[in-house]
Amino acid sequence: MEKVIETQELSLNYGDFNALANVNLPIYRNKVTALIGPSGCGKSTFLRCLNRMNDLIDNVKVEGIIRFNGEPVQGVGVDVIELRKKVGMVFQKPNPFPMSIFDNVAYGPRQQGVKNKDKLKEIVEKALKQAALYGEVKDRMNESATRLSGGQQQRLCIARALAMEPEVLLMDEPTSALDPMATQRIEELIEELKKDYTIVIVTHSMQQAARISDNTAFFLLGEIIEFGLTSEIFANPRDKRTEDYITGRFG
Amino acid sequence: MKGTRTSLSQIDTIIGSLLMILALVASSFIVIIAAFITIRGILPFITDNSGLGSVNVLQFLTNTVWLRGTTFLSTAYGAGFIIINTLYIAFLTVLLSFPIGVLTALFIAKVAPRPIAATMRTIIELLASIPSIVFGLVGVGLFLPVIYNIARAMGYSSGGGSSVIATVFVLSLMSIPTITAVAEVSIRQVDESLEQASLALGASPTQTRFKITLLAAKSGIFSGAILAVGRSLGEATAVALVSGNARSGPSFGLFETTATITSTLLQGLKETNGIDYDIRFSLGILLMVVILTTNLALNFIKRKVGNVHG
Repeated sequence: MEKVIETQELSLNYGDFNALANVNLPIYRNKVTALIGPSGCGKSTFLRCLNRMNDLIDNVKVEGIIRFNGEPVQGVGVDVIELRKKVGMVFQKPNPFPMSIFDNVAYGPRQQGVKNKDKLKEIVEKALKQAALYGEVKDRMNESATRLSGGQQQRLCIARALAMEPEVLLMDEPTSALDPMATQRIEELIEELKKDYTIVIVTHSMQQAARISDNTAFFLLGEIIEFGLTSEIFANPRDKRTEDYITGRFG
Repeated sequence: MKGTRTSLSQIDTIIGSLLMILALVASSFIVIIAAFITIRGILPFITDNSGLGSVNVLQFLTNTVWLRGTTFLSTAYGAGFIIINTLYIAFLTVLLSFPIGVLTALFIAKVAPRPIAATMRTIIELLASIPSIVFGLVGVGLFLPVIYNIARAMGYSSGGGSSVIATVFVLSLMSIPTITAVAEVSIRQVDESLEQASLALGASPTQTRFKITLLAAKSGIFSGAILAVGRSLGEATAVALVSGNARSGPSFGLFETTATITSTLLQGLKETNGIDYDIRFSLGILLMVVILTTNLALNFIKRKVGNVHG
């Protein structure tokens, strides 16, 4: 199996607080990797290392190695913008821009200088179709994105990320703000998307991890306790702490 | 228990009535002021002004000379050019102060390191609280000589520097802190997750600030501009000091002297009587109408703009 992303001895500190310690994790191409663990275990922090969103926070120190397609992600001279074009992100709360549905999806390509109207239209339609939203919005592309329902907004945010044609899609608890129906649609969508994309998803829901992921990493206090095939982790956890967490004894 | 509940609800009723009375008193002042100015200001048009004859409303609204003939003997007042001057100066002021104010706000809220931002925020608040007459003094002492010399070097005559441009500069100085303060607050309130989404899509921080942050803060930014327009239209003392108080117009050239509704109203108010005194109340009506219509128009635009994808 081909590794798209790989971290070696990754650690991260916020000031004096150690948020990640010695994290070694491979992310395999066209697989869904779920990151699970109790609140504050470092799973979201880890996710944000992969597209360097932690750069935005003061006092963050990252050590160790992160490679994306074999190239280092950290360090001076790395083009963060190029990285973020290839590694897209979907956030916990749907966060469409206060502009039209079309402009939301076209935003990324436009910032890279795509101006041709036909080209933009093609990109937007393709991304919306991939995000299973096109049928619902094709007649109201110029309406405000903020008028969509929560589930539609989140699929729009997925379409917005897909419009950049990334290789990897990072999803930070993408369904935690959604109702069960909307959650189910997003989960179905993730199944569909992994044919073309590599997906890393942070989730609070063990059921969700079990349903949609191929591999699972269990984080606790900034360390990876266990990583492996989801089927194995949920059926035969090797570590007692993993077993306690997935059986609901804590977290 | 029952007794407590009753007395609580009685207090609610009393407080409620008190608040309503206060609100009525406050709002009735507006009505009283408007009615007083209107009644006084309408006199020159409906009385014969002690035998001089009444002022023609249409000519008053359209004429391009403040007074044709001799003061106290003529009723040929005209404020058409003054209305145009007032709107023109407010427009130029917003044109100059709006971009400067908003970009300063963006710098303070998003770019400046924390200690610098805090210092700048304090300075802006101080500037916003300086009385307008001080800005007028700066205009007279600093701007007028410079503008006079520049105008002379360029071959224009400029009435000692008193001019459209001096007025616009002084009003802009006064407006920029207001615009900055209001815009800065609304920029800081922008949901950070929108900016993060933009950055995560590979947009640069600069693209994010201009395309997302300012867009998401547009409602508050527009409110700042409305306040600035209000200040430009309503400021009297500082404008009277640097406008040159032109008696005819309108003045479009930047080095020409000019006059606004407020500066004309103020000029010589306490040294005159009869019709020349009464006619200033008519200018008061004009001022109220201009400010009210401008505010309504701007609020209408704001709602339109805000509703597009708000």
